[in-house]
Amino acid sequence: MPAVVTVDSRSGVPIYQQVIDQIKRSVALGTLVPGEQLPTVKALALTLTVNPNTVARAYRDLEREEIIETSPGRGSFVRGNGVVGEMTRAVADVAAKAVGEAVREARSLGVARPDLERMVERALARWYPEETR
Amino acid sequence: MIAVRDLVKRYGSFSAVDGVSLDVPAGSICGLLGPNGSGKTTTFKCLLGFARPNAGEIRFDGAPLAPATFERLAYVPERAALYDWLTAEQHLELTRRSYARYDEARARELLRVFELDPRKKAKHLSKGQQTALALTLALAIRPSMLVLDEPATGLDPIFQRVVLDLLIDAAANGASVLLSSHQVGQVERAADRVAILRRGKLVLGGDIDALKGDEKIVEAIFAGSAPSLNGLGHDARVRRVETTGAILRVYARRDADALAAELGGLGARSIRVIDRGLEDIFLDAVADGVIPEVPS
Repeated sequence: MPAVVTVDSRSGVPIYQQVIDQIKRSVALGTLVPGEQLPTVKALALTLTVNPNTVARAYRDLEREEIIETSPGRGSFVRGNGVVGEMTRAVADVAAKAVGEAVREARSLGVARPDLERMVERALARWYPEETR
Repeated sequence: MIAVRDLVKRYGSFSAVDGVSLDVPAGSICGLLGPNGSGKTTTFKCLLGFARPNAGEIRFDGAPLAPATFERLAYVPERAALYDWLTAEQHLELTRRSYARYDEARARELLRVFELDPRKKAKHLSKGQQTALALTLALAIRPSMLVLDEPATGLDPIFQRVVLDLLIDAAANGASVLLSSHQVGQVERAADRVAILRRGKLVLGGDIDALKGDEKIVEAIFAGSAPSLNGLGHDARVRRVETTGAILRVYARRDADALAAELGGLGARSIRVIDRGLEDIFLDAVADGVIPEVPS
């Protein structure tokens, strides 16, 4: 599991956010499965060479979003009950973030909204052919 | 927990430390950054009782520095304070005699980690090995508060990483760690808090991830030349503004997304919000010029 998460400490993206994003992505991709145990805060901090508080904060946020659960003395686990729920949520979060970035990039390149809408339509037609008229 | 409040230390009319406050809670690693002469060493001297502050307060676990504090407080100076003619082993013995909390097994383990020969005299150790021995002595008392001045001096990259791992391990076990460093990269990795000093003043401080979340560059490109937005220079959300032809860069100290939306409303044809790493934020904070102060 630790190998699934890596951080770029020089990035401007807060480290706890990088940890959250990657764990969500792992859940979405199924490389972390419901019921699977996450490393302890200390173990992950040492694996990544980052501050334990940073990892603890990422875990707290993931708990609040009900992606993982922590039971005192046992550790943190990917949530197992209501399997569909957290998978769907994790997938939606990862996808929403990617779409948001793409739209932001298009805007920063000066693409006009109608042009962007046409691009999105084309992409939808390509990747969702069965649902395209 | 190490807490410094409004610390002032003057030498004659020169303020070496001028109103510095910082907190290092249990489990936290705080990086003290600043150019040479910015007040890092004087802050450490005050912390350790080697200089008497003119004003302000220093608390260790809620109490002022007292003999009992030294049981739990370890200090590693930049130049390792060792006895040339004593072996590494004899240094351990000296530490054992002075500290009730001394943990022999831990000390031996650290000697192994640093690949130190216990029978070698300190004067025959390399600079990096001396640093490693000083760290071994400091960590062997399992301190709850750890103050380190440039802890990786003379160490190769592999042992620098070992040192960071040891500090992370200490923090994970509840210690408060305060380290000064020239190397922002080290601090950026292992620390969760930072205090940036410039000419004795704290110019930026607090939670590193929160700083990264706040400090952004909003870059707006206009069709013609960028408008001169004089109001922005006085905006509390803005650190500074740069204009180059059609490009306007707003260095935000917070609310970058709101600023981006406002610039969009002014007819910018392209806007993006750029993340900033700690090194970039640090260099900006200690640069010469008018840098408004912010509370930590």
